[in-house]
Amino acid sequence: MRVTALVILNSAASSSSSPEAADPVVLANATDVSRFGYFQRFAAREFILFVARTVANRTPAGQRQSVQHEEYKVHSYNRHDLCALAFMDDHYPVRSAFALLNQILDEYQKAFGESWRGVKVDATQPWPYLTEALTKFQDPAEVDKLFKIQRDLDETKIILHKTIENLLDRGVKLDDLVEKSSDLSAASQMFYKQAKKTNQCCTML
Amino acid sequence: MSTRAGQASYRDRTQEFLKVVENCKKSSSTLDGPSSSTAPYLEGPKSAASIQSEFSRRASQIGLGIHQTSQKLSKLAKCSEMLVTGKVSCSLAKRTSVFDDPTIEIQELTSVIKKDITALNSAVVDLQLLCSLQNESGNLSRDTTNHSTTVVDNLKNRLMSTTKEFKEVLTMRTENLKVHESRRQLFSSSASKEAANPFLRQRPLVSKGSNESSAPPAPWENGSTSSSPLFPRRKSNGDPSSTQPLIPQQQQQQQEMVPLQDSYMQSRAEALQSVESTIHELSNIFTQLATMVSQQGELAIRIDENMDDTLANVEGAQGQLLKYLNSISSNRWLMIKIFFVLMFFLMIFLFFVA
Repeated sequence: MRVTALVILNSAASSSSSPEAADPVVLANATDVSRFGYFQRFAAREFILFVARTVANRTPAGQRQSVQHEEYKVHSYNRHDLCALAFMDDHYPVRSAFALLNQILDEYQKAFGESWRGVKVDATQPWPYLTEALTKFQDPAEVDKLFKIQRDLDETKIILHKTIENLLDRGVKLDDLVEKSSDLSAASQMFYKQAKKTNQCCTML
Repeated sequence: MSTRAGQASYRDRTQEFLKVVENCKKSSSTLDGPSSSTAPYLEGPKSAASIQSEFSRRASQIGLGIHQTSQKLSKLAKCSEMLVTGKVSCSLAKRTSVFDDPTIEIQELTSVIKKDITALNSAVVDLQLLCSLQNESGNLSRDTTNHSTTVVDNLKNRLMSTTKEFKEVLTMRTENLKVHESRRQLFSSSASKEAANPFLRQRPLVSKGSNESSAPPAPWENGSTSSSPLFPRRKSNGDPSSTQPLIPQQQQQQQEMVPLQDSYMQSRAEALQSVESTIHELSNIFTQLATMVSQQGELAIRIDENMDDTLANVEGAQGQLLKYLNSISSNRWLMIKIFFVLMFFLMIFLFFVA
């Protein structure tokens, strides 16, 4: 379950007009291309940007979208022309992906306000939040609280199942112990009687 | 039998009447009644016979046509029902594939019935015109006009009900066709989802329902195959000119947008529900745990009691044995006394023997 790239684009005026005009402008970009070989990394980055632009172009405002491309899934969320995309593999739960996109958009808007609307050229400086988000959110539990809660609950359930098994074993052992202790008490009672008997009958001698 | 001219009731003019009726039957729609009529009430039936003959002939024709059409209609309904239940076709002849022949026959029947109904419609309209013409021109009695209008109304009603039945049968047939298609699609969906995609495209919500019901509802139960069942092929954005096509299928974007939003919200709702149910289960498990622990606590108490008993017994026995030991070890002069007694008895025995 890994996130390969997170991209934020400004996709203003891309849906209504002609298809060539106003391609979405990349505002922030964080990619993790460590899986590819050294020489392919640049090409992979370019490819990711290209796909991001295309998908952002086709996402209508206020809509979420998921596109499957080879072994990657691209999730995109367009909110008031600010489009966030995430490239991840198939195992990443979709809901967490959209929660991640939501969070990124909120952060971006908090950090940059509305200044991004005027940007026409691809932003070149990396945004540190995005890069650390990329590393932090490789695990969907971090970003999606529900996912985390569900996972914790599942673990707890497993633990509880084990506990109940142990408890059943304990019950069996306790049964055993009860039997043994009742046998023991009967035997000790016999012993006491015997001892009393031997003591009683030899006083004459 | 006086034969006065004015009193027609006593004249026997049956033969004349019969002749006139024959004449009228031979002639076509001549509206004028017999000229030599004296008795007014004989005139009534004679003119009625001539005028009504045409009218009643047509009416009877129309009634027969309606009856035949409704019979065909019932046969059509039966055929389409049998088609749905997959039984053998209702054609008398060959019994080839279940799907094709009844469809053809049903279509033929449908067209025939449609033609009949249109013909009957026009016939009824003509009849109504004729009736109104008769009512205006001829000086018939009021009963005749009433009768003719009633007959026309009756025929019109019957035709209307037949048309309604026909429409019902047609709607039922389209529904059955839909059911058929969906059944076919269900059985062949696993093999060819691609082929069924144009069908899916028109009904994205219906297909979304079936897709989601087949997929596991909690996508993170087994995290490996989670996201793909929820969104199997719901992707848009065909980029026809790019060298690396983004998506295998073409989907209409707008139609898929709304279901995607819905399914996103739905997935969130499902997540919450599953969390809630997990918590419920956990609470159940906890209560069970508590019950079992309390039961086993009782067992532990029993064991404790038994052990206490054992301890008491063993201690008592030990005390007894100690006493015994004491009595044994500290009773030497008693033992000397016992020895002396023993020696005494031995002496007596020795004395007696020796």
